[in-house]
Amino acid sequence: MKLAAYPAFTATAFQSRLAYRNQVWSGVFGELVFMFARIAIWTSVFSTVASDSVDGVTLPQMITYALLAGPVLYWDYSRLLRDVGTAVKSGDIAVYLLKPLLYPAYMLASHTGNFLFDLLTVTVPVAIIIGFTVGLVPPASLFHGLAFLAFWALSFGMLFLLTTILGLAAFWLMTADSLDWFFNSIMILFAGGIVPLWFFPDWLATIAGNLPFAWVSYYPAAIYIGQLDPSQALTAFIIGIVWFAVLLAVLLWLWAKARHRLIVQGG
Amino acid sequence: MAIIAASGVEKIFRQPKRHAGFGGAIRSLFSREFTEVRAVDGISFKIESGEAVGYLGPNGAGKSTMIKMMTGILVPSSGTVEVLGREPHNNRITNAAEIGVVFGQRSQLWWDLPVRDSFDLNRHIYDIPAPRFTENLARLTTMLDMSSYIDRPVRQLSLGQRMRAEIAMALLHDPKILFLDEPTIGLDVVAKDVVRKFLAEVNRDRGTTIILTTHDLVDIEEICPRLIMVDDGKLLFDGELKHLRTALGSRRRLKLEFGSDPGPIALKTAQLVADEGAAKHFLLDSEQTSILDVLTELGSGHDLKDVKLEEPDIEEVIRTFYQNKVQAGAVP
Repeated sequence: MKLAAYPAFTATAFQSRLAYRNQVWSGVFGELVFMFARIAIWTSVFSTVASDSVDGVTLPQMITYALLAGPVLYWDYSRLLRDVGTAVKSGDIAVYLLKPLLYPAYMLASHTGNFLFDLLTVTVPVAIIIGFTVGLVPPASLFHGLAFLAFWALSFGMLFLLTTILGLAAFWLMTADSLDWFFNSIMILFAGGIVPLWFFPDWLATIAGNLPFAWVSYYPAAIYIGQLDPSQALTAFIIGIVWFAVLLAVLLWLWAKARHRLIVQGG
Repeated sequence: MAIIAASGVEKIFRQPKRHAGFGGAIRSLFSREFTEVRAVDGISFKIESGEAVGYLGPNGAGKSTMIKMMTGILVPSSGTVEVLGREPHNNRITNAAEIGVVFGQRSQLWWDLPVRDSFDLNRHIYDIPAPRFTENLARLTTMLDMSSYIDRPVRQLSLGQRMRAEIAMALLHDPKILFLDEPTIGLDVVAKDVVRKFLAEVNRDRGTTIILTTHDLVDIEEICPRLIMVDDGKLLFDGELKHLRTALGSRRRLKLEFGSDPGPIALKTAQLVADEGAAKHFLLDSEQTSILDVLTELGSGHDLKDVKLEEPDIEEVIRTFYQNKVQAGAVP
């Protein structure tokens, strides 16, 4: 088995999505509605204060944060969770064991395809529409722009690991239906996807800021608008890498356990 | 050397006990009681390279469990399975590269993509050199008559078309062994026939070792010279299909028709089982007894009109056998 197979999975997943073109339109429409709702909320929040910034953040910055932390960084993980969950539930996961490949790597490759598809067909169009209608701000500086790209890659990896770990839990729970709901509520609070951590009470911001979920949405978006200075960004990146390594180890350990369970107990 | 060797293989599943009803469901949340299910119980056999073996048994006999152990996705509870000289579950990836597997009830094709794209993905997964891939694909497309639908998405195919594509998919990388778990399940007569003829040809011309599970005897008659029969996880028979009848101790039926009722007849060579007056049914004691022996013993003087010898239908034999659950040893 060559590594060349994994990019092929990415391409195949991308192609599979092309089969359902209507999903693209509903995706764009759904995200737009969601974005305009967030913009309306933040606009009304900012209109109640006398100054044009809240906690040092202006309204255009806040809208940019909402776009990044929402559609851009928080891609549709539920497809991944569902894929792992149903493969476990239906026993189709055995099919992947019949092929000379590593299942988590296969999942990463094929969901990179899904991610790229969503990025091109939903995220970029939504960002362009919001950019032209409401307006977005550029990165705080060149450093913040480049750091954002690095954090974005880390965010993708982090969300993949968190979701796959949760999906593998279906091995023990025999269903992933409730996990979707559970995960979403945790993410809403701890990832800062809707309310940024700087609006949290200090104690909660400290907790959330040190849990891996914050690297999915909060850190990349906050860095883009310049909420962290270069040394803070570097520290956050290092902690993020450590979390990434820990979660990767957890995933591989869990997969070994799951495989063992599958081959010993037959799923 | 044997390509597959199983010796004393056992597989025991521990299943959590579920209690019936709502109260029972609550109880199951807290109590962890297990029942043990012995799916495979002390099975041994050897399969040589190039053989075609049918693995037969009723539902729940442990057929799929055995296939899963040979393909490395289940570990035996005790005993050993060796495939191509390796323990499959400890060498999953090496083993996977050299075998092909088709599950009749699970698809390995990509649902939303044209069949061709799934094939192409397999080229990457198994790292098949381009010329060999092109050649195999062309050959399989012709043999399985797939050219009319190879560019259509899998979700639009009929079950028969899909099964042919599944089988082609499993053979693209020239596996040494092909495992099929109920490959003809749910297919119509014509599709079954295509699949059977194809598998027999692959076995004969390419020398691919074939192991298939089924509960359809015709599959075995047309593809597999050798039959392994299991029930309740135990080996009942391992040998050629034509020897099965003897092994299961079934006897031929002889029907004698007379012009008029000759009255009761008792014979040493045959046993009377049904008497309709002018027509009498006998069972022949052994394979050695011929009709001639019976007729000689019967002698002349009866108004004998017709003699009919019936070979027992093999399905009938197996059905009676399973129903009686006679514990026959393995007969070569």
